[in-house]
Amino acid sequence: MILGSPSIDIDQPFFSAFLALFVMTLIMTVAVMVATWYERKFVARVQQRLGPMRVGPYGLLQPFADTVKLLAKEDLRPATADPIAFELAVFAIFVPAFLGLVVVPFTADWVISPLPLSLLYLLAVSGLSFIGFLMAGWGSDSKYALLGGMRAAAQLISYEIPLILAMIGVVMVVASADVYQIILFQDKVPLIVWQPLGFLIFLIAAIAELERQPFDIPTGESEVAGGVFIEYSGIRWSMFQLTSYVNMYVFSLLGGFVFLGGWEWPWGRDVGWGYQLLLSLGKMSLFIVFFLWVRASFPRLRVDQLMSYAWKVLIPFGLLQIFLNGLVLVYDLPDVALFVTSGLGAVLLAVLMYQTVRVEPRRELELISVPVRSAV
Amino acid sequence: MLGILKSMGMTARAALRKPVTIEYPTVHREIPNRDRAFPILIWDFDQDEPFCTGCHACERACPVECMTVVMKDNPKHAAGESKRRKIIDEFWIDYGRCMRCNICVEVCNFEAIGMNNTWAGHELSRYDRSELVLDLDQLMAQSKAGKVEPGLRA
Amino acid sequence: MVIDQEAPEIVDIPINMGPQHPSTHGVFRMVLVVSGEKVLDVTPHIGYMHRGGEKLMEAMDFRQGIGYADRTEYLAQFSAELCYCMAVERLMDIQVPDRAQYIRVILTELNRLSSHFMFAGAFGIDAGLFGTSFTYAFREREHLQDVFEEVSGDRLMYAYFRVGGLAWEVPDNFVERVHQVLKQTRQGIRDLDDLMTKNEIFIARCQNIGNFSAQQAIAHGLSGPMLRASGVPWDLRKDEPYGIYDRFTFKVPVGHYGDVYDRYLVRLEEMRQSVDIVEQALEQLPAEGPIVPEKMPRRLRTPPGEVYARVEAPRGEWGVYLVSKGGDKPWRLKMRSPSFCNLSALREMTVGQFLADAVMILGSMDIVLCDVDR
Repeated sequence: MILGSPSIDIDQPFFSAFLALFVMTLIMTVAVMVATWYERKFVARVQQRLGPMRVGPYGLLQPFADTVKLLAKEDLRPATADPIAFELAVFAIFVPAFLGLVVVPFTADWVISPLPLSLLYLLAVSGLSFIGFLMAGWGSDSKYALLGGMRAAAQLISYEIPLILAMIGVVMVVASADVYQIILFQDKVPLIVWQPLGFLIFLIAAIAELERQPFDIPTGESEVAGGVFIEYSGIRWSMFQLTSYVNMYVFSLLGGFVFLGGWEWPWGRDVGWGYQLLLSLGKMSLFIVFFLWVRASFPRLRVDQLMSYAWKVLIPFGLLQIFLNGLVLVYDLPDVALFVTSGLGAVLLAVLMYQTVRVEPRRELELISVPVRSAV
Repeated sequence: MLGILKSMGMTARAALRKPVTIEYPTVHREIPNRDRAFPILIWDFDQDEPFCTGCHACERACPVECMTVVMKDNPKHAAGESKRRKIIDEFWIDYGRCMRCNICVEVCNFEAIGMNNTWAGHELSRYDRSELVLDLDQLMAQSKAGKVEPGLRA
Repeated sequence: MVIDQEAPEIVDIPINMGPQHPSTHGVFRMVLVVSGEKVLDVTPHIGYMHRGGEKLMEAMDFRQGIGYADRTEYLAQFSAELCYCMAVERLMDIQVPDRAQYIRVILTELNRLSSHFMFAGAFGIDAGLFGTSFTYAFREREHLQDVFEEVSGDRLMYAYFRVGGLAWEVPDNFVERVHQVLKQTRQGIRDLDDLMTKNEIFIARCQNIGNFSAQQAIAHGLSGPMLRASGVPWDLRKDEPYGIYDRFTFKVPVGHYGDVYDRYLVRLEEMRQSVDIVEQALEQLPAEGPIVPEKMPRRLRTPPGEVYARVEAPRGEWGVYLVSKGGDKPWRLKMRSPSFCNLSALREMTVGQFLADAVMILGSMDIVLCDVDR
């Protein structure tokens, strides 16, 4: 990242690019370690306990201790594992997460590579990681890994569609597929006001893409064995965790920029990079806290419920959002119509979520007070 | 939708409460007087010998047969200093077998054995199971040093 | 990799949920044969915790055996101790004094609370919560165990009841302590209720899973909350009152569908009713009185005979069948374990359900492996 100019220095392109990517990777690795720390602390506080406290003051060195432990572990490899699939699965999951960070504009001037179609690039790249799950599942040569891999792949590709539909709604309103332009569009009002339904769909689809509770079938269950990563040990397994947290950062940043206004709202571009960075990181933190909060509070859905939720609920509502946007834009209705229609759509989604699980009317137990027979 | 929000509200409220855990082993919690850790023998400071006479009552009553008791003639009785004719010679309790049921304490005629109610009775981790068999000196050590809490069940 | 020319055979996969479980149900092995997601067959394998308990009890007299009864039903210890003591008292025709009866009831109902808290915590983990329900439940269990520690000296294996009454007197601040703990317990029940009961995801995981009709429940010999959730209003504290349970008014929750959600609701409601019972008992508790009968024999020798005593343990009907040929040790002691009988219905409940539901069904049965295997 070169300060002052919104692109990489032309004189030494490769060196600048390499430096920028290196710095970004370093920052993200440390950020992920910090993320593991505050996740454990946050979840511990929700559960009314203290979290890591012994390693370093308030447990701050805990991620480093974990990393050292994982590095020192024996690198087990099943004898019958497919060597290419097994080895490369880690990278197939790991690389797309970092690729997405290349187009994220942290402030008005700080971006590694400003592309005119950065949103498209981001969504495309984040959808590549499911191949890694399939490779890990197949290459591990284990029943549970295979089942877990299949389910992970199914979940990831299913929930990409509502994510993309929500983003298409945004692109329709802003008339640009560039994250930079989307942020600039929000100088008066953030997009969450115009697209509440899109925001809700994005939120749910993001949690599913991150494979966190309540959608963590691939990493949690799979016959209570641990999912697609059970044959990986030591540093390889930690790379999967790393990827999961990097993805969390990417989606939080994306959500903060696209729906909450990024560094543009409410103070505009002239306040200097300090305030802009504060805003963008602050909005990212809101999303992260939300993801952690949801993780600590909900049980996980069953696989068929998860899939039916994506295909029967989220995709129709995503299409509905696009349809409503289309109506407003074609008939040139005033902007507030967007708010009304999309808001009604969001309310409809909430009501539908409430109704689908209520198979029977309110379930009451019968409390019986029988007359007592005489004592034995 | 409402149920989900209710759950999230619950977790948010819990996050604002004070944590209920303490950081053992830097901090120990208070254990009540009646706490029933492993049995120890009690020293008679008046006559400078243990209360235990080796009568085998606890050994017979123990459900898991974790004690071994050997008695001997009391040299102090021969010298006229003590009323106890017999005194304990060897006493082994296998803490690995003891189930802390308190029956040995209930049957003891001399109030010579008691259930330790301090943290020392709980922090007994050893690396080898044979180290959990304590002999007479180890069993009497805490009482001889005067470190027995009042309320000891004896 | 070369793919074979002939068509691959499609088989149903046997999946082994081995003796070590991530869910905290003890050492239990379940072999499921699945076809895709549907479970076709379940074979439970038990016996990993068999310690020859009933044979061991034949060598222990009636005071030593109480410690073993604790260890058999390690989450509802006072129920087990109560049943054992009741069996011997019936055989020897001993009348337990009033104060001891009331304290027994208070402690047994508090133990029911702590056992159901354990169920709620472990059930949340089975459903997929990240440990939140578990820590809330164990926070309450710790409060209850503090009271038990002040009374009996131990946090888990109390060995406090004796034949004829109690071992020793309760501490002076017993009544205030129990009131204090009840206040905290009500808060704990509300916490778990808020967290789990109305959560749509939780309901989606629990509703219409493992339905069991009343006829099936009676045919399989279920008891306790599983029976009541299937619609059969049978509670031993009401239908065959033992001790002084006829002096308390409380309601018995009965479900309609017999599915996993009903069992959870029944247990949650039972917790509230237990709090009621303890409050009533605290009011009626005589301030003074003996805790063992005056004419207590020094050595407990039972006349020859046999007796079957049963109590409503948190898991169901815990029973002791005692055959004595005179003497101070039982000739034969059989413990009727509710977890064993409830577990026998696992196959019928699970076949035809999804794989993920097998874990929920097992969790809703609330088994204690020491009780299944003795």
